[in-house]
Amino acid sequence: MQSGNYSHLIRIILGIIVFAVFGFIGKKLLTPESFGVYGHFRADAIEEEAAREIRHWTNASCLSCHAYEAKIHLKGRHKTISCEFCHGPYADHVKDGKKTGTLPVKKGEDMKILCMRCHNKAIQARPGEVIKTVVMPDHLTSQKVKETHNCSQCHHVHAPLMYIEKARKITGFDAKEAL
Amino acid sequence: MDNKISMDNKISDDRRSFIKKVLNGTIGGSLLLVFSAGAEIFKSPEDIPAQIPSLKNKEYEITKAHFAFIVDITKCIGCGSCCVADKREYNVADGYYRTWVERYLKDYDDNVYVDSPKGGLEGYQSPREDIDVKVRDTFFVPKLCNMCKEPPCVQVCPIGATFQTPDGFVLVDHKRCVGCGYCIQACPYSVRFLNPVTKTAEKCSWCYHRVRKGLQPACVSVCPTGARKFGDLNDENSEVSKILKGPGVITVLKREMGTFPGLYYIGARREVI
Ligand code: SF4
Ligand code: SF4
Repeated sequence: MQSGNYSHLIRIILGIIVFAVFGFIGKKLLTPESFGVYGHFRADAIEEEAAREIRHWTNASCLSCHAYEAKIHLKGRHKTISCEFCHGPYADHVKDGKKTGTLPVKKGEDMKILCMRCHNKAIQARPGEVIKTVVMPDHLTSQKVKETHNCSQCHHVHAPLMYIEKARKITGFDAKEAL
Repeated sequence: MDNKISMDNKISDDRRSFIKKVLNGTIGGSLLLVFSAGAEIFKSPEDIPAQIPSLKNKEYEITKAHFAFIVDITKCIGCGSCCVADKREYNVADGYYRTWVERYLKDYDDNVYVDSPKGGLEGYQSPREDIDVKVRDTFFVPKLCNMCKEPPCVQVCPIGATFQTPDGFVLVDHKRCVGCGYCIQACPYSVRFLNPVTKTAEKCSWCYHRVRKGLQPACVSVCPTGARKFGDLNDENSEVSKILKGPGVITVLKREMGTFPGLYYIGARREVI
């Protein structure tokens, strides 16, 4: 009679033990390694993200090879512009110290569009103290050049005032003052 | 890893000493012309001069690091260089943006008009033509992850795939993410989206992989006007430390949400959300 009373208890306890063991093993198997080191996440994911490929290697990398451009670029008003913005990321050009691809140089209408991304006065949200803006084609008319002129015919793309300052030095003539 | 670095160093040392020897020799000048172009090619990201000087030649202490991002609206010209760099750094799928630039217009009746064609990826080539009002105030607002100190996106993730690192970055574990999209709905700043290829949540990471190597986030490093600034708050001399300690007006977006952003704005009008 008494043994009958205990058998259902034993069954319940056995059931709980089996549940706990399976639960324990299941948790061990399903919890990824490094989970919980810093919190409720897989700590290894931090190092995985940190190991992502760097694609923009900064101007220092570009200019270390392109010494001629460096000389001009670093002296001009465009010195804060990233090489990789206009030409594309370093990673598409060099790998393990070897050239793997050629980066494009913008020409013609594409170049004008590129210049106008920053210098278009029609976009009023551009603060004058941060950037010099112009209205095209008014700028061409006021500078007395043909309307078909491209920006680079007067402005060196890496140092926009280079030619203009040179011309000023040679001629002693300042177009701005003369206007 | 260390071995590899020291090997690389050794190789470049050898090369340097070789070039020096050649230079000292009689035919130095002409040979240098041939060699100079290849002499300094950066082979690994470790060669790039650090842009965050306080992290240079130091063991990275993940539990102590502390960074801030500042966007100066008064300097942004809406060129979209930042957006282009971001897309290229991460090969972001077309039509999705980890960072973007909005254009705000305000008229004399205090109406606000905001647009962001292609997230600013192609720049702003023309003024808005769809509205006919006299513009009182207009400016650009770059947007990115706010790196909230109390991030709602982390709270709602059911499996710990979106998480906050000890150095204060909110990142996504792409191996764990099941793409349920809870975090996308939870983010008050709408910076998250479901990557159409991997079907996992994606968002701006403040270029964690670059920062860990002492480099600025890609968008900061290409911004021509210094409108985007990133730096080490443990370094008293960093630009961000000085700005945050200084007297200027600095705001965060949606303060009332209680997310405590690590991203600060200079020059944000009250309309900016
Ligand atoms: S790169 Fe700088 S100036 Fe250009 S849109 Fe981005 S934040 Fe503004
Ligand atoms: S801005 Fe959105 S994605 Fe970034 S930490 Fe805050 S809630 Fe998360």
